[in-house]
Amino acid sequence: MSRPPAVSEAILDENDTSLLDLVDNVLTKGVVIDGEIMLGLAGVDLVYLRLSAILCAADRITKHLR
Amino acid sequence: MYVYAILGDAPTAPLGHGLAGEPLTLLRAADLVAAVGAMDEPPAASREAVLGHDAVVRRLSDVSAAILPTRFGMVDDASALTEWLRAAADVLGDALRLVAGREQMTLHVFDGDEPPAVDAVERTDDAGAESASGPGTRYLALRRRQRRREESVPELAPLRGRLDALVVAERTERRATPPFRATVYHLIERGRSADYRAAVDAGHALVRGVRLRVSGPWAPYAFAPEPLS
Repeated sequence: MSRPPAVSEAILDENDTSLLDLVDNVLTKGVVIDGEIMLGLAGVDLVYLRLSAILCAADRITKHLR
Repeated sequence: MYVYAILGDAPTAPLGHGLAGEPLTLLRAADLVAAVGAMDEPPAASREAVLGHDAVVRRLSDVSAAILPTRFGMVDDASALTEWLRAAADVLGDALRLVAGREQMTLHVFDGDEPPAVDAVERTDDAGAESASGPGTRYLALRRRQRRREESVPELAPLRGRLDALVVAERTERRATPPFRATVYHLIERGRSADYRAAVDAGHALVRGVRLRVSGPWAPYAFAPEPLS
């Protein structure tokens, strides 16, 4: 029997450019410059890790709950 | 100044504006070019700012054959950035040569509805770990198994033949939270993303136990060198 898709899967099954990819690329990849300042990013990285890349950006979730 | 990307050559086309509407300029050092905008502090991380950062990177990618995007939020002063570029020139130069004329595709691997395929790599390593005699050998076998799990995605083996002709380089991240199993970053020649998608679509039915999702093309974020100390 097939299990119902999780909310995160439903979000990620969309064909448009997902927030997952944006978060993954822009916030966790790319050149890190020595001596850089990353003000305001600590919380984002923490959220990213806690959600295991899942990316429950509030606007994305609420869009699906409407 | 806010740093958007490291480029192999100075673009001749107009650079446009950055996240805060600031004109983009170029900072040169050690045969490298940094695309920067005047900004004392990075913007707060919001959906709009993240989208804006990527939009600037995409625009720079359109006018530059070799681009290494910087991570969101990189701010430094001109003298420190120049010094860092000179210190990191060799590593950045190698990375720029790898990504020149190329772009990134991303392949997300999720748990599927079918039972997972047997992980041949892990099974082989498990056998080695169980037969190891001493604690040191068992520890090394365990570390090897962990490392191979991180680096390999055996689920994709049936796809390899279709992708090999397109993929120039690959980086993999295993995911620990179901349904996410792994993300595989592929570097391909620019303009081949449709071929890449077609190859994945054609081979998807051969891959058992997982679902796949393709995104891209992206600037080669995942092929930036590791942070330099």
